[in-house]
Amino acid sequence: MTAVIETAKLSKWYGNVLGLSDVSLEIEPGITGLLGPNGAGKSTFLKLITGQIKPSIGSVRIFGQKVQNNQALFSRIGFCPEHDSFYEDMTGWVFLTSLLKLQGFSPPEIQSRAEKALDIVELAADKDRLVRAYSRGMRQRLKFAQAIAHDPEIIILDEPLSGLDPLGKRKLIRLIKAYREEGKTVIVSSHVLPEIEALTRTIILIHQGKVFAKGDIHYIRDLIETHPHMVAVRCSDPRGLAVQLLGESYVLKVHFGADGKSFLVETNNRDRFFAVLLSLIVKSRMEVEEITSPDDNLQAVFDYLVGK
Amino acid sequence: MTPSQRAGIGSFLRAVGRVFAVFFRQGRKARRTRFFFLFSFLPVAVSLVIKFNQVFSDSPGREAGYLFTNLIMLFYLQMIILILALFYGTSVCSEEVEGKTLPYLVTRPVPKPAVVLGKYLAYTVVTIGMVTLGLIFSFIVLNVNRLLDPSVYGLLGRYLGVLVLGLIAYGAFFTFLGSFLRRSIFFGLLFSFGWENVVQYFPGSTQRLAIAHYLKSFLPAGPPGRFSFLTFRLEPTRTGVALLMLLVITAAFLALACLFFSKKEYNVED
Repeated sequence: MTAVIETAKLSKWYGNVLGLSDVSLEIEPGITGLLGPNGAGKSTFLKLITGQIKPSIGSVRIFGQKVQNNQALFSRIGFCPEHDSFYEDMTGWVFLTSLLKLQGFSPPEIQSRAEKALDIVELAADKDRLVRAYSRGMRQRLKFAQAIAHDPEIIILDEPLSGLDPLGKRKLIRLIKAYREEGKTVIVSSHVLPEIEALTRTIILIHQGKVFAKGDIHYIRDLIETHPHMVAVRCSDPRGLAVQLLGESYVLKVHFGADGKSFLVETNNRDRFFAVLLSLIVKSRMEVEEITSPDDNLQAVFDYLVGK
Repeated sequence: MTPSQRAGIGSFLRAVGRVFAVFFRQGRKARRTRFFFLFSFLPVAVSLVIKFNQVFSDSPGREAGYLFTNLIMLFYLQMIILILALFYGTSVCSEEVEGKTLPYLVTRPVPKPAVVLGKYLAYTVVTIGMVTLGLIFSFIVLNVNRLLDPSVYGLLGRYLGVLVLGLIAYGAFFTFLGSFLRRSIFFGLLFSFGWENVVQYFPGSTQRLAIAHYLKSFLPAGPPGRFSFLTFRLEPTRTGVALLMLLVITAAFLALACLFFSKKEYNVED
């Protein structure tokens, strides 16, 4: 498949602060997940490929054309920014039609495209309410609507699922996936692995301004599997439960809480550990208050991988 | 001019028109416009007080033309147009950065200079509308006995022209200020009520460094009175030259604003 977006040695510094370093990528049609902890450089990358900022070094080409000062290219790109920011004095309808007007469509086209986009994001009934009166989920969907209303070939979404409730997330994930079926190129950034996992298998891992890995989501999953994982258990008999776990080879360390009601286990096989833990709890009919994973997040995985 | 250059200019002007249409509507509907609309009607309230005082007191008071020139016009020229141009001009660029709405504009097929010019034109028309209404109402209130005299309308047109030129020139300057300064309102206030209010009274050619100097060059010298020192011009510039200077100032600051907006990387992060 031909690459739609190509970056070569793309780097960006904000004064002395590194935003992005030496990123050379080719992005093909379909959904690509841009995954990394907060401050990793995801937004910088998205701003560079949408021409909002200039690279310090390197280049970006979309459809073989340079992005900087190439306004015509923006008819083919839809961008959904990360910030929850709008022209608050506008209604949803006016917001959308205003941005379509800037795209250069005729009034009848603006009308039909805005209606279609609002139908897609299920905001048609609320189109005449002021944006400032919208809920977080509605605002997020309106942002998505403005990114798709002009029917772009490339859709770039910066943290589109942040702040949405589970139902809202599911709806938006379904919408985004529909664009893959149409052969469009969709780039979605997130710092939450399960969100990206629900959308695509093609990911770009980004950390400290550098592309850490690019490829299938199973790669990151495998990395997480081998990453020593902390699990905290609060139950009625922590020592009794811990004794039964100590015999397992994948249990590396156990620490008991000072309150005598909890223990913390370090394991290098999370899935196996959880399977055994749950069966032991069921078998012993032990009362369990809480099971948590203090480091079950991308930052912990990245810290582990870069050897912190 | 080659056909491709003509097409390029045409496409740019259409983009300016699209931005104008969006922000003229937004400017009219914005909450701050309601506030500034009331603010620009302050001289109407002052005119009403003066008129009522004249009607209900025995003393005839000052002549309407004198009051209009020396009180209402100065109210507009030295305060209202400065405040309106300051708040609307600086917001052309800074409201997009502070409101974090900039990505919506710069990821559209619209050149960045067209965004600046379209918004500037939209906000200038909104402010001209506010000032025009206020000025006409004040004029009617103060000249209610002379409304059938056609000569008074020439004066009104002249004053209105000065205010419009003021909004255009100050608006361009504040648009430039808002395109590169973070605290543009603060520096704009310093300029408006510091520089402009002081430098225009300096003797010699120094007074030509104030925009107000060129605006006042269009006004007739009023009869001596309590407020006459405010319109006193040491060396008035000829009206043709004053008009040219105001146009040059406007074009230069708008060009600079477009340049800054196109080149500068605004930080819209938290």
